[in-house]
Amino acid sequence: MDPRRAETGKNSDQIQSGHVYHLALDIGGSLAKLVYFTKNDEHIVGSEKKKSPMKASGISNSSRNSPVLNGRLNFKKFETSKINDCLEFINSMKLHLGGVYKIVMIAMVMNAGCQQPESPGSQTITIKATGGGAYKYADLFKEKFRISLDKEDEMDCLVAGANFLLETIHQEAFTYMGNQKQFVWIDKNDLYPYLLVNIGSGVGMIKVEGDGKFERVSGTSIGGGTFWGLGKLLTKCKSFDELLDLSYRGNNRAVDMLVGDIYGGMDYSKIGLSSTTIASSFGRAISENKERDDYKPEDIARSLLRMISNNIGQISYLTALRFGLKRIFFGGFFIRRHPFTMDTLSVAVNFWSKGEAKAMFLQHEGFLGAVGAFMSSDKHGLKELLANQKVERPPSKLSFSLDQTQVPQQDGELNGDESIECSVYGA
Amino acid sequence: MATKGSNSIHRSSSRPLLDLSKAEIQGNVEEKYPTILLPNQSDDLSHLALDIGGSLIKLVYFSRHEDQSTNDKRMKILKDKLGILNGNRRSYPILGGRLHFVKFETNKINECLEFIYSKKLHCGGWESHHSDSTNDQNAVIKATGGGAFKFADLFKERLGISLDKEDEMDCLVAGANFLLKAIRHEAYTHMEGQKEFIQIDPNDLFPYLLVNIGSGVSMIKVDGNGKFERVSGTNVGGGTYWGLGRLLTNCSSFDELLELSQKGDNRTTDMLVGDIYGTDYPKIGLSASTIASSFGKATLENKELEEYRPEDISLSLLRMISYNIGQISYLNALRFGLKRIFFGGFFIRGHAYTMDAISFAVHFWSKGTAQAMFLRHEGFLGALGAFMSYEKHGLDDLMVHQFVERFPMGAPYTGGKIHGPPLRNLNEKASLENISWMEKFLQKGTEITAPVPMTPPGTTGLGGFEVPLSKGSTLRSDASALNVGVLHLIPTLEVFPLLVDPKMYEPNTVDLSDHSELEYWLTILSEHLPDLVDKAVASEGGTDDSKRRGDAFARAFSAHLARLMEEPAAYGKLGLANLLEMREECLREFQFVDAYRSIKQRENEASLAVLHDLLMELDSLDEETRLLTLIEGVLAANIFDWGSRACVDLYHKGTIIEIYRMSRNKMQRPWRVDDFDAFKERMLGSGDKKPLPHGRALLFVDNSGADIVLGMLPLARELLRRGTEVVLVGNSLPALNDVTAMELPDIVAEAAKHCDILRRAAESGGLLVDAMTNTLDGSKEKLPSVALMVVENGCGSPCIDFRQVSSELAAAAKDADLIILEGMGRSLHTNLYAQFKCDALKLAMVKNQRLAEKLVQGNIYDCVCKYEPAY
Repeated sequence: MDPRRAETGKNSDQIQSGHVYHLALDIGGSLAKLVYFTKNDEHIVGSEKKKSPMKASGISNSSRNSPVLNGRLNFKKFETSKINDCLEFINSMKLHLGGVYKIVMIAMVMNAGCQQPESPGSQTITIKATGGGAYKYADLFKEKFRISLDKEDEMDCLVAGANFLLETIHQEAFTYMGNQKQFVWIDKNDLYPYLLVNIGSGVGMIKVEGDGKFERVSGTSIGGGTFWGLGKLLTKCKSFDELLDLSYRGNNRAVDMLVGDIYGGMDYSKIGLSSTTIASSFGRAISENKERDDYKPEDIARSLLRMISNNIGQISYLTALRFGLKRIFFGGFFIRRHPFTMDTLSVAVNFWSKGEAKAMFLQHEGFLGAVGAFMSSDKHGLKELLANQKVERPPSKLSFSLDQTQVPQQDGELNGDESIECSVYGA
Repeated sequence: MATKGSNSIHRSSSRPLLDLSKAEIQGNVEEKYPTILLPNQSDDLSHLALDIGGSLIKLVYFSRHEDQSTNDKRMKILKDKLGILNGNRRSYPILGGRLHFVKFETNKINECLEFIYSKKLHCGGWESHHSDSTNDQNAVIKATGGGAFKFADLFKERLGISLDKEDEMDCLVAGANFLLKAIRHEAYTHMEGQKEFIQIDPNDLFPYLLVNIGSGVSMIKVDGNGKFERVSGTNVGGGTYWGLGRLLTNCSSFDELLELSQKGDNRTTDMLVGDIYGTDYPKIGLSASTIASSFGKATLENKELEEYRPEDISLSLLRMISYNIGQISYLNALRFGLKRIFFGGFFIRGHAYTMDAISFAVHFWSKGTAQAMFLRHEGFLGALGAFMSYEKHGLDDLMVHQFVERFPMGAPYTGGKIHGPPLRNLNEKASLENISWMEKFLQKGTEITAPVPMTPPGTTGLGGFEVPLSKGSTLRSDASALNVGVLHLIPTLEVFPLLVDPKMYEPNTVDLSDHSELEYWLTILSEHLPDLVDKAVASEGGTDDSKRRGDAFARAFSAHLARLMEEPAAYGKLGLANLLEMREECLREFQFVDAYRSIKQRENEASLAVLHDLLMELDSLDEETRLLTLIEGVLAANIFDWGSRACVDLYHKGTIIEIYRMSRNKMQRPWRVDDFDAFKERMLGSGDKKPLPHGRALLFVDNSGADIVLGMLPLARELLRRGTEVVLVGNSLPALNDVTAMELPDIVAEAAKHCDILRRAAESGGLLVDAMTNTLDGSKEKLPSVALMVVENGCGSPCIDFRQVSSELAAAAKDADLIILEGMGRSLHTNLYAQFKCDALKLAMVKNQRLAEKLVQGNIYDCVCKYEPAY
């Protein structure tokens, strides 16, 4: 059984099973990401999966008598330019229909008494949201569906999301070099400080020293937006994914000036550069009297991707070095677990650090902000949910546990909509 | 060589770079490249190095001349007196000369070949200069850049020379090290459109980061001469800008793309923080106009490439790349603990936006703790480095004070770009004697208007990544390009040894970085120009040739002024002294050797005629009155200044003597600045205490005529009478009506006819070599008199920069304990605040209302008598 597959059908724009209790949004410049929690049906909760989160967290359910809520964390994304689809999707969730329990949700606060989705009346739903779009589209959400966006700071969310994922999920971080994906087990107690490089439209580099302790130390405007923006102008691709696919098939030698092009095929060994090192991205587009259409879009896409990945890798390494950070995690939608992107980033870090540093990636990159926003409200909603479920006593503290066995690891395709099993329990 | 004598100094600076007189074709005229004999070139030894890049060929060549006849008697006696070692000049590996910087477009390599050929640069090796064979197959020229490989065969075939390829990076570093050490104002910062020159202590230069932005970017850590390492780089460089730019716009050249960027607005292509947040993101200090994602805007819109303005795309690209380079450079400098970052390479090309963007990035990421710096000769680093790789260039030992940079008139027109006349018709014998750059210049003269519009200095309004406020349409892409002049190497120049603190010394009193100040002085110079041209033309008898040159000079100098108005830093840090010197240099370029020659002569004669009466009058006074009268006389005579507009007007109203008398009668003490009493006390003491007279006084004289004859000579005579040795310090080259060191001996000789004191002192100083020994006095006691000597100051300007004076002056200064600076140029425009290790008296009449108000809070014709005891 693969609940993820079941749920990630191409047209899954409505909730298929369970109830949505908790939703958070991360509206970036290019993509809007959703994370929401659906509570499993009773039979699923009672199934064999019930125990695994407990084991993973090492907390004895019975002895602590903690409330447990099993369900799924769902991840979904939309292109920001099609924000209306996203709105429709949220609207279609019929969030209030979840109300077997009287829900005052974590990420989605419904005014009491709102029972009928078809008649929004005067009720307003509040959803946790982050990303620049949380500001920009706030009015749109309000006007169209009376959804009020409760804005969470983007960086807070990113870091909270990354910290949560790195601390909680066993196989969250991995390296990727030469088509070899290798999970890296990170001791929770030896996680900090690290550099979090979030590659969205632009790139933010954040030094993280602990929960809620972080600082944006650097960044660059050459990011995913640059790749997609320039790529769109140069190749007529219709989507980011199409451009990425193209890049996979291209050869950057056609447009890049390599060290060998300058030094006549000999390595410029004096400065430690091999002849295939890119001396100047797009530097060959100078010397030849060719028009844009004479270049293959694949080659252009490839060159763009290498240029941008290389650059981010370099600046990240220099920044990590500057602050003495031992690990660099790359996240953000640009990566999308695209092997070639990860590979170039890894090569860049490896090259500039002379092998001393390694680029690491997160299984859930792209959803860090949304997860963080989701986490930001756990004080209210889930606690109450749990309290409602197990009336004995309200939990003082919440933990999430994700079922390791449900995390897909076999491929690099966790870039679409998905969901993973998870449990919420209070202590 | 021996017959040239002192005149060679004039020649060396005034004649065109290529002397074609008496040229003739040697050998078979039918040959494709016949040998052209240029006999008058023979004393110039040249050498050449090349940097052949993808788009430009840069040449650095050196020419030197064995002039400086050392056997005239004045020099010989001076040498004995002042202890200048014979053969002093010979002890330098090079004799002095000029370093020229020339560019050609690589796709016009033929022009470059012809240029080299016509100047015989390819056959003037250090060793082979005796050979007059231009077919020397063994000639080797140092070259660097990718083209050194590509065009090696072409050079061999056409010029018969082999290119000796030098490593590019070695050359870059060597070039940068040389420039940063040799040129005082080589490095500058560029923020918000404002340039500021940074003086770097050559002893505190290393380590630094050199960022060379070519197609790609190399970052080199430089620890010393020949000690460097490529520590980083990026593949996002000039090639990326041009390559992507070409793909995205229809530009056909790099410069076109660059120019487009100035009219761009990157808001249409870049995603700004404001686009994402709708507002600032203050938590992390990003303003709404910060670029969040370069070209990110394009992801939000369904627009075709053609719907974007190429201007916007170009600007967006430029910022993306510049910003990135700035950031990576800063991170590397930080990593290796390098305090300075210098940016060079063709990507910059003096382009204001590019420099602003890089500067902004460095400033932004370093939170203001680091600054991006640029080099004025940035395009020539490689060529210069290749030049340095010759074993015997001898440039290593030269010091910053031995260089004088001069700007030929071609500079304002070419914007410092391609320089050098096409010389293809050299093969035609008939035209040989007529061709000179001047002819070309005159032919083109009518086409030339002011090269740049007269607007306030261009601010780009570009706060790095803020949106430019002014669209900069008045700024041409090369408007902010810095011109590179000809570097004159004068090994005999030295730092004046009596400066208290040479490092802190700043010659210029008036800071021309104040725009209104600059505008004022440029206007003054413009207004004075017609009169100057009249004088210049008249000085050569008003011939047609001189009229044409006069016109050309006026046009060239106006262009210089216009250029400076537009871009005050175009020629490096600009002071009033530089401005005045440029005018003189420009006159010399147009072969006006001495525009005021006849005026100076006339005034000298008129003044000498009354000198006798004046001396009689002085001798009748008691010592104290005499001293005051002498100082009054100096101040009064200083009114004769052709550099002052007000004084030129006076000339038209009366005779010299009338003006002098009137001027003297106006001498009412106290003067505006009046330290006379302190000076008098030092000279005469108070009460019974008679102070020791000074051992040697240096008198920096100003104008010809009454100023020298009726002002300074009587003062010199008084000092001599008191037993003080006197050294008259005159200009090396003419400037306005200033008296030159060449002219002084004649004036002294003439004056000596009226005065025994002067005669004996002049004899003793070797100034009266031709005068017959006066038999009348010959029988009398032959007491050795203190000497009256003349030295040249090493300058060709009405001002003096004490960091660069002639070696004779430096030698003369060693035993001096009094210096007297006379005239506005040397004691007001420059050196008003200069401090000396010996007693110093600064005397001048202020002949400019603005200067009077600014410097002494007084009025025009106020006098300054500033006395400062030794520091």
